[in-house]
Amino acid sequence: MVASDAVNEEDIDKLIIPDDLPEEPTFKAYIEATVYDKEGHIIDYRRQPMKSLTQYFLALMSIPLIGTYSSSSSSSSTGLLANTLGLPSEISTEYVANITWAWSIQVGSGSQSFSPTLTGLAAPIANGTGSGQLSYSTTSVSYTASSISILGTVGNSTSSAVNVTEIGLTCTVYIQYSTSGTSTYTCLLSYDTFSTAISIPAGGMATFQIVISFTG
Amino acid sequence: MMVGKDVSDISFKVPEDTYDTGKHTPTFSAYLTAIVRDSTGRVIHVHRQRSRSPTANFMYILLPLNWYTSTGQALTLTNATGGTCSYQPNVNSNAACIFYPNSHYNIQNYVVMIQVGSGTNSNPFSAHSLAAPIANGSGTGQLVYGTPSVSNTAIVSGSSAYFVIEQTLSNQTGSTIDVTEVGVITYIALVNTALSSIPGCGNLLVWYDALSSAISVPAGGGLTIAYTFTVNP
Repeated sequence: MVASDAVNEEDIDKLIIPDDLPEEPTFKAYIEATVYDKEGHIIDYRRQPMKSLTQYFLALMSIPLIGTYSSSSSSSSTGLLANTLGLPSEISTEYVANITWAWSIQVGSGSQSFSPTLTGLAAPIANGTGSGQLSYSTTSVSYTASSISILGTVGNSTSSAVNVTEIGLTCTVYIQYSTSGTSTYTCLLSYDTFSTAISIPAGGMATFQIVISFTG
Repeated sequence: MMVGKDVSDISFKVPEDTYDTGKHTPTFSAYLTAIVRDSTGRVIHVHRQRSRSPTANFMYILLPLNWYTSTGQALTLTNATGGTCSYQPNVNSNAACIFYPNSHYNIQNYVVMIQVGSGTNSNPFSAHSLAAPIANGSGTGQLVYGTPSVSNTAIVSGSSAYFVIEQTLSNQTGSTIDVTEVGVITYIALVNTALSSIPGCGNLLVWYDALSSAISVPAGGGLTIAYTFTVNP
């Protein structure tokens, strides 16, 4: 997309001064997991790089970057929202509409190869107190001038340990209408697996924190 | 269950993939490419650098509902001329959220321009405008701004995906113009679905970079700037 009519690639390479590009990543992200037994003792702790943001993260972050409209005179959404995130290109039946979104952390017991087009965990662990389930608390979010932290807590109210092998940051997008109706859309913003399973004991709990840092 | 014990209770082996600030895997990158042409259209310089600086406006809009509903707070978006609007999205008809395209009533939120300037902001996060924006025009010290373009979809390549914002500017004056700073300006308007609150926040600086070295755009020449945002680079 950049300068297709320039000169050949070899010549452009010679013209690049400075070339301040990664190996160094611009932004960092990591995942922390802390496991507690039923008495509240910390029994496991993990901290690993977050490796796998999806294309839906890109599309969502495009909203503060380029807005929701394809131009100053258009009534169509950007291609990133319509083509990548799968939102309507235009709400045709309502007088007015707006958009907002929430995030949550989901954990699972499966694993799969990463693709930026992944839409869900391999084997999500359901919210509940039944066998193999975990009780999800509300995901909380905090921020600093250079980072956003997302913290999810799960409790194991069953009588058996529950193993967690994968984690995702998920998104629920709300489009609200003037008729007071709301449409919801879900997406997967990130997907990572743990190098070894995290075992949450019966009666125990775990916190999972994803930190996205915008400083290089 | 209480979480009362401190970390002295910890007894476990740290896994090998423990985060290391020096050796972690890239997750997300942004960089800008600036291509300078002379008056004949020949490429004479390419400047490429990592981009590091979302502004407070960007962060406040990106924050999800979770933060706004749990804190009950609003955050203030500040536009390039110092005007402000209060942002506190929620899922109800009274909460002013970002306009979404529809067939009846629109105030467009859109990328206005990649703006360039001849100054430098020392604190990009709190910057609301470029330090010394270069005006659009053909008068002394000015550049003619083209229309920005954005990838129509995320471009997926293996485990990576990216999109690009790009714009061309031309120097129609008789002198060289130096560029030292670059920012993305986006117009944001809010609306609640009860239509009782429709604040136009105006042109917001959402991304900012001071250039690591000045870029000189020669008389009659042009400058193309592209921001590339990539996950899993």
